[in-house]
Amino acid sequence: MEAIVKSNFIGKDAVARTERPAIFTRPTAKTGLVSWLTTVDHKKVGLLYGISSLFFFLVGGAEALLIRLQLAVPNNTLLSAQVYNELFTMHATTMIFLAVMPLSAAFFNYIMPLQIGARDVAFPRLNGFAFWVFLAGAIILNVGWFVRSGAPDIGWFGYAPLTSKAYSNTFTADMSTDLWIMGLQILGVSSVIGSLNFIVTIINMRAPGMTMMRLPVFVWMTLITAFLIVLSFPAITIALIALMMDRSFGANFFEVSNGGLPILWQHLFWVFGHPEVYILILPAMGIISEILPTFSRKPLFGYPIIVFSGAVIGLLGFGVWSHHMFTTGMGAVATAAFSLATMAIAVPTGVKIFNWIGTLWGGQLQMRTPMMFALGFVWMFMMGGFSGIMHSAAPADAQQQDSYFVVAHFHYVLIGGSIFALLAGIHYWFPLIFGRKVSEVWGKLSFWVIFVGFNVTFFPMHFLGLNGMPRRTFTYDGNMGWNSANLIATIGAMILGVGMAVYFAVMVYTYFKGQKIGRDPWNGRTLEWSIPNPPPEYNFAVLPTVHARDAFWYEKHHQDEIAQEKAAQAQAEQAHGGVHMPSQSWFPIMTAMAMLAGSLFFTNHNFLGAICAGVAVLAFIYLWAWEGPGGYHLHLDKDGNIIDEKSGSSQGASH
Amino acid sequence: MSSHAAPGHIDHHHDATTSTGIPNKKLFMWTFLASDCMFFGALISMHVIYRIHPPAGSPDPKSIFSIELTSFSTFILLMSSLLMALAVNSIQKGKIRSTRNNLLGTIFFGLIFLACQVYEFEHFVHDRNLTLSNSLFGSTFYTLTGTHGCHVAIGVVWLVLMYIRTFKPENADGSRTPWFIMSIVHLLVFTVAIVLGVHVIVELGHEVQKANFGVGAFLKAYALPSIGFLVALAGLYGLGRRSGPVDFNESHAIDVESMGIYWHFVDIVWIIIFPVVYLLEYI
Amino acid sequence: MSASTAEPASGSHDSSHGQSKFHVFVQVAMLLAVITGVEIVIIYLPLPYLVVFVTLALLSLVKFMFVIFIFMHLKWDKFFCTVMFFIGLVLASGTVLALHALFAAKDSKPVGPAYESVQLDFRDASSRSVAA
Repeated sequence: MEAIVKSNFIGKDAVARTERPAIFTRPTAKTGLVSWLTTVDHKKVGLLYGISSLFFFLVGGAEALLIRLQLAVPNNTLLSAQVYNELFTMHATTMIFLAVMPLSAAFFNYIMPLQIGARDVAFPRLNGFAFWVFLAGAIILNVGWFVRSGAPDIGWFGYAPLTSKAYSNTFTADMSTDLWIMGLQILGVSSVIGSLNFIVTIINMRAPGMTMMRLPVFVWMTLITAFLIVLSFPAITIALIALMMDRSFGANFFEVSNGGLPILWQHLFWVFGHPEVYILILPAMGIISEILPTFSRKPLFGYPIIVFSGAVIGLLGFGVWSHHMFTTGMGAVATAAFSLATMAIAVPTGVKIFNWIGTLWGGQLQMRTPMMFALGFVWMFMMGGFSGIMHSAAPADAQQQDSYFVVAHFHYVLIGGSIFALLAGIHYWFPLIFGRKVSEVWGKLSFWVIFVGFNVTFFPMHFLGLNGMPRRTFTYDGNMGWNSANLIATIGAMILGVGMAVYFAVMVYTYFKGQKIGRDPWNGRTLEWSIPNPPPEYNFAVLPTVHARDAFWYEKHHQDEIAQEKAAQAQAEQAHGGVHMPSQSWFPIMTAMAMLAGSLFFTNHNFLGAICAGVAVLAFIYLWAWEGPGGYHLHLDKDGNIIDEKSGSSQGASH
Repeated sequence: MSSHAAPGHIDHHHDATTSTGIPNKKLFMWTFLASDCMFFGALISMHVIYRIHPPAGSPDPKSIFSIELTSFSTFILLMSSLLMALAVNSIQKGKIRSTRNNLLGTIFFGLIFLACQVYEFEHFVHDRNLTLSNSLFGSTFYTLTGTHGCHVAIGVVWLVLMYIRTFKPENADGSRTPWFIMSIVHLLVFTVAIVLGVHVIVELGHEVQKANFGVGAFLKAYALPSIGFLVALAGLYGLGRRSGPVDFNESHAIDVESMGIYWHFVDIVWIIIFPVVYLLEYI
Repeated sequence: MSASTAEPASGSHDSSHGQSKFHVFVQVAMLLAVITGVEIVIIYLPLPYLVVFVTLALLSLVKFMFVIFIFMHLKWDKFFCTVMFFIGLVLASGTVLALHALFAAKDSKPVGPAYESVQLDFRDASSRSVAA
């Protein structure tokens, strides 16, 4: 196998020529607004996803706090039923699609190419495009707050026939559900395109010697999550198309009086919806699988089994969807089948937990902040898993369905699981991305406040659920025996809010004024720690050759061998013209904005406007194809600084 | 490929720049098709489920469908698939003219399929009283076959753009008329030809059914679009006769191949839809 | 790049391999046309439902396989392309079958005024007059 990943580049640099239409001059700004709007750098795209997702996390959190305030006392009148419905719909939609998924995407984008030893993803412009389309989707979903229609109020799962036109408010054109449909479709486009890119990148752009079984577990989880996304989103796409046809064109898919079957919506939604929850948790499991070995100073226990279990979870995740529908009267056979499948999926999950414990066992544990969050993950996710197993028994679920027991379950796995892992990841990779280290004292403080607040909020909900409190109701009577648990949960939510505020404040402070730190502060095991922090645009001065799992650990312990290899590699890359970099482009963002305009026109039933915007989308895609991949070469001196071709002087590579 | 790779030495089955040897674009397209399988699977399920439980008063498909027309369009799509494979084959051997002819053939047959579908839809709506909203069968039928038709249309657009691309002159920046302008002109002429052509063919299809059909009367009534169509065709012929070295060769085979994989997929979806939606109603 | 390291054998293998592929494509297309013809004819023959159904399914499967392995070139490409596509195909087929089984089950039979079957009448005997 050839030692060097050579480029597909044809040798002509994308220099602006006088006869070329000016529209095709590639933007070259490396700093400033234009550099962000036209970026094809996976690290910048990752940061864009990160900032956006953290913003929407706060929005979703505010929505949650309002919900808890309303439920703090019985018969509360803080919020009307209508506003309450909008809040719980948007809280879930925001947290799932605009917070957790893009925050995971931020890590996929930033960290994954570094961990496989690549300079960028397979299709850099498409990567930028996926982000701008995500932003378009986020805007569409939240536009409702500012217009008369109001925000979507049909629950994040949008069950038919509640979503039919008949239930839209009768004042002019209540578009809230149409905005929800369109927003989710656009977000689906973003997720699928991004995931296709990641799959091709991971499979096709690994550094020499990086076999699949030497990949960091985080990369494996990225790959499996990407597969889940591309295979599950089509189901909800079809369901949303059917719903849109019903609402906008009078079709009868869920129109009961004409023979429509609303239960079909539930099936199609959950064929997507169940893999979706694994999409939310697998990246988190990947992050934990990186952090635990690093802070136990031991390799991950049972790597092949952890990878295999992840794949099995992904696969089985497609076979359990009707466990969300145990109370819909599917019949004994179907109910039993899905119940068994759901119990089965606990097995690989449990295997992973045992392997994580095996990683910790006998290790030299270093209780830094990322480790605290990671340990919190293992315990809290386990608790969420226990309540999940309780759901899998269909007779028990008959009591738990639609009650607060379910709310407790999924918040334990989503906050105790996904969020804890993502917060851990931010702490863990902060030194790499920003070159500064978060204070241990403040980091741990934020962890403890979050941990306490989270448990105080959601543990009582197990009891509320078993005592009969239903979900999605804006108020409750004072004589049901639910009062104290609700008040405790609300207090816990406030504590959680304070914890998150501390966490965010610490991050912002550290970004601006945190203690600067050198490379590899945690004595890491994977390749992202082998480059300067913050990383230079080209990632690796010399593409690494991988000899073993935990590639960087090998490098640190075989320094002479690696030094010789790198010297030979650098020469070979120079002989091929230098470091190949992708060119920036305006067309990803232009195409996405045209899609945004078209979506809003369509939702408003302004079909002429939608068609015009559609033509604009086609035009921008045409120009995008026309401008071609472009690309240019960098030359580096022996210290990894970029040599300015004209002046021959070296410029610093980082910052 | 680096600039010193000579044509003829490109291995179309192995790309040494990737970890697996599979070109990125090909892997991307196959992964996308795996996703599209789930997409059409869900869509076909919806139709099948509603056919298992038809509501009272559901129209009988046998009284609506025209098996002759749909069989004809099935064969047409099959032929377009063959021509697409031949186009990929041609460009892998660097034969530009043959590639162009095969691409044109694929476009032509693809458009016949679309015209048949447009005609079919119009016929069902006007003469068989089957609309999207007046029955559940209409909803599922039009959504399923219409979505497939959209996939065909997207393929046709892509094919047209690929065809135009084969004319990019090698010395693009030295030519008298900028290549960018020429390509837009070519695209516009093609668009006019397609829109007018499909319109005239579909209208011809409707008129032929009527008792008082006369070719002269038809041409008089549809003089403007027919003439426009012929003029556009003449324009396409003229534009297609441009010769001279072009910047399109074996190294672009991967792009044609990726498009071909998409087009064949659209054909295999129809291989499923035709029996499931049409043939099964008759047994 | 590949000029220096590509096996010349694969180049010539490619061209001789490519010559015969034209004929392979045309022959496969003819076969597919014939199979399609058989599918159309068979629905008019007085055979049992199950026989026709299974035959149609098998014939479609044969056409499907020919297109993906010959026209779409999977037979000659790296095996991983086949793996990738079959992941989607198998999952989609499984989902379609599962959904079909769920809706064909007795418990899933829809009832209500829109359906020909049972018209449930919850009014008590005294208020039931003329059928709605």
